[in-house]
Amino acid sequence: MAPTAGLTRATFAKLSPHPYLLANLEPSSDDVPPARSNGRAPNEVRPPTVNSSSLSHAHGSAVVRMGDTTVICGVRGETILTSNIPSFRASNNETELREYDLLVPNIELATGCAPQFLPGGPPTTLAQTLSTRIYSLLHSSKVINPDNLRIWHTGAEGMTANEDRMEDDAPDAIEGEKVVAAYWVLYIDIFFISFDGNPFDAAWAATMAALRDTKLPRAWYDADREMVISSRKESIPITITNIPIACTAVVFTGKETDRPSVDGKFWMLVDPDRLEESLCDESVTIVVDCKDGDTRILSISKHGGTVLTPTLLTSKQFLSWAGKRWEEFNLAIVQP
Amino acid sequence: MADRRRVNGPGGITVPPIYEAEDLPLPDRSRQPNGIRAQYLKTGVTPSASGSAYLEIEPQNGSVSKGMKLTCTVHGPRSLPRSAPFSPHMVLSTHVKFAPFATRQRRGYLRDSSERDLSTHLETALRGALIADRWPKSGVDVIVTIIEGDQARQVAVEQGIEEWDMMNVLGGCITVAAAALADAGIDCVDTVSGGVAALVPGKDGEEPVMVLDPVPSEHEEILAACCVAYLPSRDEITNLWLKGSLSSDANLQRMLIARAVHASKGSSQAVAASLTEAALAG
Repeated sequence: MAPTAGLTRATFAKLSPHPYLLANLEPSSDDVPPARSNGRAPNEVRPPTVNSSSLSHAHGSAVVRMGDTTVICGVRGETILTSNIPSFRASNNETELREYDLLVPNIELATGCAPQFLPGGPPTTLAQTLSTRIYSLLHSSKVINPDNLRIWHTGAEGMTANEDRMEDDAPDAIEGEKVVAAYWVLYIDIFFISFDGNPFDAAWAATMAALRDTKLPRAWYDADREMVISSRKESIPITITNIPIACTAVVFTGKETDRPSVDGKFWMLVDPDRLEESLCDESVTIVVDCKDGDTRILSISKHGGTVLTPTLLTSKQFLSWAGKRWEEFNLAIVQP
Repeated sequence: MADRRRVNGPGGITVPPIYEAEDLPLPDRSRQPNGIRAQYLKTGVTPSASGSAYLEIEPQNGSVSKGMKLTCTVHGPRSLPRSAPFSPHMVLSTHVKFAPFATRQRRGYLRDSSERDLSTHLETALRGALIADRWPKSGVDVIVTIIEGDQARQVAVEQGIEEWDMMNVLGGCITVAAAALADAGIDCVDTVSGGVAALVPGKDGEEPVMVLDPVPSEHEEILAACCVAYLPSRDEITNLWLKGSLSSDANLQRMLIARAVHASKGSSQAVAASLTEAALAG
């Protein structure tokens, strides 16, 4: 561009990121394809790599890498007795997960994964938002079958039932009947090792990969000791049949916020990095599940800006990007 | 009071799985007394930080030890906030945190006292190696995250040996932080490296023996242990942590420190190898 000035591409990108990205997306000559500052085409994503079962103390774990974004997720099960759940109702077998709060996802960004995230303070707004989004998506997508988290207990047959009924808090009152004595609570901790944009997609994929890897020990209720005992040898994997995947894109309008618009032109940049996220106000995240061929949309969330129209959000092109992303991630998660 | 800025889970008490009684593998050390576990060190794992490193200590086959995994990021040197008082040299702040899934028992997100203790030790270890006068009025942050800790034994037993385990963790923290500082290009007099040695009872009531890089769960009992932060080319120690019951024989203490220094020479080779590799790669 300007070799005499002695400035490298990286310096230009840093000094004036906005015009630099615009110049790359709108090249002056026709034989140069439009690209982003990082060299990717607007709808080109960073290929994900997934590595599961790398932690020994967690019941399930996964490391997900997308370019320079690295996330590690560990799932750990702990048990809670139904007598310790204040709102417990034995008849409830629909909304147990949400009502008893059995899934506990937390995102930690304060590992120095990027210069703006240093430890020492409370979790940042971004970390809180991401945790809440993962939390609500885990519940609304119903990827976890509540039956995997129930710990059953059959009332002892030989015991005299009368004595047992005296203690009203014992969950095993009726002889021979199967009751839920306790639940597994899944603590899902998501650590960012390296942060380079698009945290939600990476964190969600890591969560799904770690859950798919999770094997809880076989557990039973010991009525005499009034606690749950686990087996060291046997473990039961959690059944995850569907793996929904998130796909995020940001909208670049080619102008800084205080400048007038450039004839309404805009670019959608899929899988943004840190620089692109800082230049764009508007972002859209779609969560899809394409199992068995048909695309099912689990959630669409769009923030900031008014450029994206409803037609565009339901367009074939946009959905095909998400579908491709789903395939890519599912291949990476299921394969190893 | 629950932390409302995180997802806290159910209100009732949750307990980690309690396992049925089972024969634990007998503590046994398969390495030579002067052998340390293999280490893998890689720099540049977090490109957006000034410097970063990842350290993995290999798990032992057939043993109860599960190895260790640590990452470290270095941010800075950068200008101090306006409110900070004038400082003629670089202000170093260190932060050590266990991931909740790093140990047998789930850890919370708030730092506990052992993590603060480790941070302080790490700070002293690094301060001796940094040439801090070259950056007046600036600060640098060193953040170590322990992804996987060493503790791999029954909870009850673990309580007693946890403090010994801290030494191993500190040794790893020092080594990984030194590599990250070098990756950040911050001037040091030398790359500091951590090493641990311990005095354990000998087999069948024999004389106690000194072992390098002890894994607490591999031994029935640890009499004393020592962790040093050592500068190999200057032959200096920047941080020394020795505890346990040693006889008043000063020779024994000197021996233990010498063995710990010997262990740290092993990790310093890993640091040197990984930094050379990174320099060659560009």
